[in-house]
Amino acid sequence: MSGDLDTGAEITWCTGCGNFGILAAVKKAVKKLEENGISREDIVISTGIGCHGKIFDYLDLSGIYSLHGREVASAEGIKLGNPDLKIIAFGGDGDCYGEGLAHLLFAAKRNIDITVIVHNNGAYALTTGQASPTSPKGFKGPATPGGSVEPPIEPLGLLLSAGASFVSRGYAGKVKHLSDLIVQAVEHPGFAHIDVLQPSVVFTDYYEEYNELVDELEDTRSTKFEAMELAQESDRLPIGVFYREERPTYNEELLGERNPVKDRLSDEKRLKEIRAFLDV
Amino acid sequence: MGSKDDVKAMDEELFTVIIGGQAGQGVKKAGEALSKFFLEKGRYVFEMDDYQSLIRGGHNFASVSSSTEEIFSHHMRADVVVNLDKTSYEMHKKNLTPDGLNFYNSDEIENGEGIGLPLTSMSKEFQRPQLIMGVTGIAVLAAVVGENKDSLVSLVNSVYPRGKEDNTAFSKLVYDEVLDKVGSTLDLKEGDCRNRMFPGNHVIALGAASAGLDIYFAYPMTPASSILHFYASHGDKLGVTAVHPESEIAVANMAIGATIAGARSMVGTSGGGFALMAEAFSLAGMVESPVLFVLSSRPGPATGVPTYTEQGDLGFALHQGHGDFPRIVASPGDMEEAFYLTADMLSLLWKYQTPGIILTEKHLSESSMCMDVDPSKVRTVEPRMHEEDTEYKRYLSTEDGVSPLKFPPSKEAIKWNGEEHDEYGITTSRSEEVAAMHDKRHKKEEVILEELKDRHTVNVYGSGENVIFTYGSTTLSVREALRCSGIEAKVVQPIYLRPLPTWELKKHVEGRSIVVEQSVAQQFSTLLEDKIGLEPTSVIKRYDGRPFDPMDLAGKIKEAIR
Repeated sequence: MSGDLDTGAEITWCTGCGNFGILAAVKKAVKKLEENGISREDIVISTGIGCHGKIFDYLDLSGIYSLHGREVASAEGIKLGNPDLKIIAFGGDGDCYGEGLAHLLFAAKRNIDITVIVHNNGAYALTTGQASPTSPKGFKGPATPGGSVEPPIEPLGLLLSAGASFVSRGYAGKVKHLSDLIVQAVEHPGFAHIDVLQPSVVFTDYYEEYNELVDELEDTRSTKFEAMELAQESDRLPIGVFYREERPTYNEELLGERNPVKDRLSDEKRLKEIRAFLDV
Repeated sequence: MGSKDDVKAMDEELFTVIIGGQAGQGVKKAGEALSKFFLEKGRYVFEMDDYQSLIRGGHNFASVSSSTEEIFSHHMRADVVVNLDKTSYEMHKKNLTPDGLNFYNSDEIENGEGIGLPLTSMSKEFQRPQLIMGVTGIAVLAAVVGENKDSLVSLVNSVYPRGKEDNTAFSKLVYDEVLDKVGSTLDLKEGDCRNRMFPGNHVIALGAASAGLDIYFAYPMTPASSILHFYASHGDKLGVTAVHPESEIAVANMAIGATIAGARSMVGTSGGGFALMAEAFSLAGMVESPVLFVLSSRPGPATGVPTYTEQGDLGFALHQGHGDFPRIVASPGDMEEAFYLTADMLSLLWKYQTPGIILTEKHLSESSMCMDVDPSKVRTVEPRMHEEDTEYKRYLSTEDGVSPLKFPPSKEAIKWNGEEHDEYGITTSRSEEVAAMHDKRHKKEEVILEELKDRHTVNVYGSGENVIFTYGSTTLSVREALRCSGIEAKVVQPIYLRPLPTWELKKHVEGRSIVVEQSVAQQFSTLLEDKIGLEPTSVIKRYDGRPFDPMDLAGKIKEAIR
């Protein structure tokens, strides 16, 4: 793996895209995680399909460029295969809050120890700017020329209801802050979610609005209810960790101490067990 | 399906019991008890459970056939029929052999044909009359074949550990009543079978475990669910983790994820669930992930008839997933084959890094029969792994298209990519790279074909100028039909369906040929026509959700070769 995590692949995001901020924050976070004792060799990523997914090609980390909406399921499978690995799933708002929403909510519910980063730009950018699950009502795109008639969903409240044990929001325009969030999320023992406000310079150029409204939280809320209230705020856009709790993870509850790829039965033991079934 | 009475079973030791009743009356358990009774007599047994998609009421029955010779199917003409309720009586009085005994509940039916047992009034004194009804099956069988009461009691105790006092007491009442009314009139010879019997799904599960399966992912769907239940109960011992996530889409994508970590993964479902897995199946082809998919068919389309059997998913299995990529599809013809084939498939898929399918049907998944397998005979092949001193490329171009594997943690990034990619796994749309990767994956198709040419790919049973082509669990019906009727014919069953072993099958295209399958559109026959130019003299098909009755099938075969 290259020192700066570059792969040498040509970056095809639009100049000024919020995705650059996210990429920079991830690279910074990986370095910090290494200082904290988590090797980049143990970090495995998954991505969905959309502009966000291109980050797969730009990060010299192991992983899978999965299907649209399935990056969370892929990430969970990797974790269950080898629970010693640290998994980061990258999704888009159309991808993770639309096509693949069920996987996200269930991953939060079961508290599997993975991190999900959603590049939330409020539009289907790669498919030319259709309204996404987080586009505001009235959003104009090629599939809603008269303005979208649907109100947006608010993802953080949804995740809190589902049982996410680490719920946060970051901003692609504040790389240092986002990078700190990523470090905390990866180190959190359980399901960690980061919704990232990510302006698209072509379809949703909200930089000015975000720069004005984004407000760094000083404290994590102590109850889910308070965290939900915070997520509803619209006169300012709080960023930081909204809610955090520790509860047993799915991988620990399901597997106990066993690591499926490291603690395989010996051939001899396996044969003995199978014979026991066949012969009794 | 008209019944043909012109063919009689020539196996004089064949003995069949059918027990029918409502869901909740313990019919399945009764079938298990009957099977155990026969097994203890050293007889070969085949048990088929027919049940509906409901929890209480309706009509369920079990048909348990046994013989002193190896037996491949249940029969629908029984020596003893035990009807726990009126519906069962109406349905099964036609299922008797000419000398068969029909037992019915005389509290529900007045002056019925056969022997009336006042089951409702006899069970009244017990706390939960419905729950002990099922024991009637072995009590009747024990009495009519002259088994002593002590043996009956010990069998009841072993099959019904819960509530054994009431079951034992009730079985004795029934036994005495039957002896009183008909006595011991039937003869049951002991055999020398020492095998145990297993349901197909357990055999599939054990086969995969013997090849080193690490994780099984599944969403409940009949008739595949019992694989999930088996691993959930016994996975700890076998080193297999059972995972039941939110949907079949999650199942398939998680299974692919697990292979990236190096875990051997299998999933199981039926047609509807497999449809939801279509995109992930294609992803497995693209990223070259060796996930084994078990597709246990039931009648479709859509939800179809959830608890019955059909072979309407053959074309679906052969063509699952969008785009061009190699896959292996195989279908076991009996329980022993289900064991070895599942194990073999897991190894083959890891050798060639591509998805594959075990195609089976409810009739094999959920029926039980005697079998004898040796897990030490399972051939496991280690996948090709990366040698540490060279640069790592996930999709390294090689002569046979198979790139070495590596699992995290790794100094070099291991990039599995569902978009078209270069050798490193970085996305590309460059024309020469797109074509080169297609060529790489396609090459595997050729080497898989070469490997299969060296393997046993087609089962041939019997001989004769008449050739019967069949596959999957229908093979059981055909073999039993021939065994019992004495009709001479050669049975040809391809174990692999894609790639189809045309080189072997073509050897048998001669004389009169019959295709037997369970698909209204005769998908198997069409496949053989397309691939080996077979023009069958006749196609015998059944598509009402029920497996063939062997003697009924024998009648149809006789007619076809007349």
